[in-house]
Amino acid sequence: MTRFRNALTALVTNPYLLAAIVVALALGADWMSAGTVHILSFVMISIIFALSINLLTGLAGQISLGHAGLFGMGAYVTGILAKTYGISVVVSVPVGMFAAGLVGYLLSFPAGRVRDVYLAMMTLGFGMIFFEIVREWNDVTGGMMGLSGVPSPTLRTLKPFGVRINEVWFFRAILLVTVLTIWIMRNVTQSRTGRAFFAIHHSEVAAGSLGISRTGTKRLAYVLSGLLAGLAGALYAHLVGYLGPDSFSLNRSIEVLVIAIVGGLGSIAGQVISATIFTFLPETLQVFSEYQFIVYGVILTFSLIVLPRGIAGLLLAPPRFIQPRALREMRKEPRKAEIGEAAKTQPAEAGGVLTVKKLTKNFGGLTALDNVSLELKPGRITALVGPNGSGKSTLVNVISGLYQPSDGRVEFKGQDITGLPDHRIAQAGVVRTFQDPRLVPNFTVRENLLLGAHRLMTHSGFGSALALPRAIHEEAEFLTRIDKVMDLTELTPTADQTIESLPYGYRRLAEVARALVAQPSAILLDEPAAGLSEVEMEHLARIIRRMKDMGLTIMLIDHHMDFLAELVDDVVVLDSGRVIYRGTIEGMRSDRTVISAYLGEEEAVNA
Amino acid sequence: MNIFLSLVLAGVSVGSVYALVALGLNVTFWTTKTLNFGHGSLMMFCAMLLVFFASQGLAMAGAAILSLLIVAVLGMFIERFTVRPALKGNNSMGWVVSTLGFGIVLQGVAAKLFGSQAVAFPSLIFGSDDFITVFGLYVSLQYLLVLGLSIFLVVVLECFLRFTRWGQAVRAVSHDPELGRVNGMPVNAIVIGSFILSALLAGAAGLLVSQIGGTVDPAFGFNLVLFGFVAAVVGGMGSSIGALIGGIALGVLSKLIGGYISSAAEQPVAFAILMLMLALRPNGLFAQAEATKA
Amino acid sequence: MLELRDVKVSYGAVEAVRGVSITARAGTTTAILGANGAGKSSLLRVISGIAPLRGGTIILNAQDVSKIPAERRAKLGLAHAMEGRRLFRQLTVEENLRLAWSFGARKTDLADAIADIYQRFPILREKAKVQAGYLSGGQQQMVILSCATIRDPSYLLLDEPSLGLAPIIVTQIYEFITGYARRSGATVIIAEQMASLALKVSDQGYVLRRGRIVLEGESRKLLADGVANALSASYL
Repeated sequence: MTRFRNALTALVTNPYLLAAIVVALALGADWMSAGTVHILSFVMISIIFALSINLLTGLAGQISLGHAGLFGMGAYVTGILAKTYGISVVVSVPVGMFAAGLVGYLLSFPAGRVRDVYLAMMTLGFGMIFFEIVREWNDVTGGMMGLSGVPSPTLRTLKPFGVRINEVWFFRAILLVTVLTIWIMRNVTQSRTGRAFFAIHHSEVAAGSLGISRTGTKRLAYVLSGLLAGLAGALYAHLVGYLGPDSFSLNRSIEVLVIAIVGGLGSIAGQVISATIFTFLPETLQVFSEYQFIVYGVILTFSLIVLPRGIAGLLLAPPRFIQPRALREMRKEPRKAEIGEAAKTQPAEAGGVLTVKKLTKNFGGLTALDNVSLELKPGRITALVGPNGSGKSTLVNVISGLYQPSDGRVEFKGQDITGLPDHRIAQAGVVRTFQDPRLVPNFTVRENLLLGAHRLMTHSGFGSALALPRAIHEEAEFLTRIDKVMDLTELTPTADQTIESLPYGYRRLAEVARALVAQPSAILLDEPAAGLSEVEMEHLARIIRRMKDMGLTIMLIDHHMDFLAELVDDVVVLDSGRVIYRGTIEGMRSDRTVISAYLGEEEAVNA
Repeated sequence: MNIFLSLVLAGVSVGSVYALVALGLNVTFWTTKTLNFGHGSLMMFCAMLLVFFASQGLAMAGAAILSLLIVAVLGMFIERFTVRPALKGNNSMGWVVSTLGFGIVLQGVAAKLFGSQAVAFPSLIFGSDDFITVFGLYVSLQYLLVLGLSIFLVVVLECFLRFTRWGQAVRAVSHDPELGRVNGMPVNAIVIGSFILSALLAGAAGLLVSQIGGTVDPAFGFNLVLFGFVAAVVGGMGSSIGALIGGIALGVLSKLIGGYISSAAEQPVAFAILMLMLALRPNGLFAQAEATKA
Repeated sequence: MLELRDVKVSYGAVEAVRGVSITARAGTTTAILGANGAGKSSLLRVISGIAPLRGGTIILNAQDVSKIPAERRAKLGLAHAMEGRRLFRQLTVEENLRLAWSFGARKTDLADAIADIYQRFPILREKAKVQAGYLSGGQQQMVILSCATIRDPSYLLLDEPSLGLAPIIVTQIYEFITGYARRSGATVIIAEQMASLALKVSDQGYVLRRGRIVLEGESRKLLADGVANALSASYL
């Protein structure tokens, strides 16, 4: 089945085949009936609209039940500019598009703060407000009667630059725009922007720990989605020539949601296929158009349960998130690095001193951390040990910015990082791993590691959207760096397999590797050896030793004493939120306080 | 002053409808933290079923009971086939989309079975002309019935949740279903029961509200669900008293703004309130502080 | 008597328990030991029915309960104090106790049962109307144990009752457990990281490592053999 999927995907994304189809459509339009050209124009618009949902919901994971509002915004602004103010289509369409993008931006403020059902309701409300405004604002939108007389090729009134355009040429223009849109969307998906969207979709906490700003990323997603929906609406306005509020009601939002879900959220090819099917279906199947509403309802009811990844999930290989050209560029570089070499050629930023001063953390009536102080030095591995519930994870969570401390300070390289949000602390060079690996399950190892480089890349989203050379080059550079990290962590054989297909041990190793790509100065490893076999533990120990050689400041939480004994320089023991021992491991084994904390009072008497 | 009072009274009237809808939505939230987006369609379907059965010669009472029964079965269907499987996946969007889809299916089916035109709905309890006078203003008894029912439900539900062991079990189930099972609570049965109750409340609301308007059509109910949701959010998700206060507050606010500014602003006001609430006080007015250690 | 025959538990691709067989005679206390991730919690969870059984059988009182859902096993007299100090945080101490009692066997009168609990854990009487989420770790554990025992169970499963608690509280907790076992004759299974603690109060012990039993025997013998120290050393 996989081979069938891969073959079909190769076919569907083959650039020559696609170019041939596009050219055939463009040229063949002269010979098609007016009706067919009309429908095909609708298909194009539908594709662009579906892509807007694909981006916001499929990639970024934000559900929208009111997208007709953005679509309508583009349509009405364009229509009004063109009809009431006589503005040329060449200007009215981009303006309409940007108007919708602006609304998307504004919407992101309230919508970005909520999720799930609240987000669904909010977007639903947004769609309905838009509908009400359009319906009531008679003077501007024509109210219930609608806005007619928008220049359109169907009515032979469309005249950009004074030249009258007929339906065929308008179709060609829309076709071109659609192709460009698809190309840009594909670039975005395979860039750091697309990966960031997917990351906040699947693990907001992990994304934050990698320096990806959740609010900023969501905002961007809303703006881009608005631009796309607005573009579709703007083209729609000129195609149809008449705008009535009923075209922008909840039905429209539902329809595009159905298309996107059936196509497969996250897959561009899926959207194209689905949009084509659903635009043709009502025209060709009379039965379908009668029961259209019910069919949509049934699809919505069961599709996410039965076929969560849609047509694309069934027939095509899962979409990937790395720009192929960057991969090709990387592979052209001769592979120089050996494992030892990698350690030396990777200039680690000098690890700094991480100081924790009198840190206290209260949850309601419970004191999880009580006046904890410790110091981590570069090039040294410090273990954090203690019975379960002693506060180890809380300490890591406070240092890395997931929790706010109730009292105390955290300093790194002399800089006060107390209470900063998690993505800022990651940006300052202090990186942590999680007990349950927060990797994106449908990303490959390589993609997950590339995500780790997010805060380091400097090329703009714009550049990667247009596949500009500087952006491609930077991705290739990072891919090379990732290759070296995978060498270091011995993950190269599994580089292009998805995390969810790999055994559990690999996830832990990938989690550590991902932290390394960020080139941290300090790294906090939260139970990295949990669930690993002995062989895997040795593998991990090797990696940690290499990190120490590179000069990193390392803190390690774990329970496996034999694992720690050979690895660790210092140990700090916590019990009920307090530090009860600081020193070497040998010293710890014979320390009275530690023994009684672990074994109970009677043992301490006997020991 | 008279205008103000009459607007307030109108607000309380529609607000009690919103409250009733919110109360019904809350019930599934208690047990599964989900909301049925098809709640409005259930309301509509119950009403249309009654009209149909009445037209077949069934007595009103019989028709009402039969309609409510069918709707209760639909509630079970919703739980079993749209919510339970969706909750198993870790996608929270699943049940939103699938309950919405089910609502759309119901709407489509109703349109196919009963036609998409509005049909006349008879007065079941009190006529549309029955009123009492409050401060010299007319108050419809039909609305008063809805208000009365809402208040009654709030009292009953609050007592149920607080003082009966099944009520406590319901509260427990939403927080930690595993812990509930290990303590011997029949979690599945409780969840199914909550969906049946929610559907019955939807049906009852559908009947009472349709008699006020005098007509019902397949599109009826959807707007009400949104208002009901806003009322629930304003009052605090899951709080019965919150649903009542939230509903009335929402009703009064939207009528006042509608009266003094523009009647078209009524709906947008509800969403403006929603957005404000979610931004400023997401837990609502009667939120219970969560006693978690995190 | 509680019997596990070649029990297997997996969560997706992860095998947590790989064929474990245990026999616990009626009225005895059994210790299940091992490091974090060894499979102790999964074992208890599959006994109470919360975790799905991938293979093997579970026999309670000569009845095969492998396919019986958790709620029904609870009614058969099984009580499980789960890992992670789980209780209903939004409910008060008294409400937690009442809820546990009302869905249990109800052999004792509620007022008597509660009075008995307050006598053994006086601090709970003070905190009766406080929401459970606001109690300290030790107090929460007291509530959890009380909820488990107020149901008069014949089988008591305890998952790391000493977790993160100060030694002096641990002593109190264990006194309560042993007291209850003696009075009621219940069959108790305790999963613990604190090996010596559990071995001292139990009749027999099993050591788990990565889902399999690597050592078993009479608790007295295991203690004498220094298993407790070895275990603590290897993971401490």
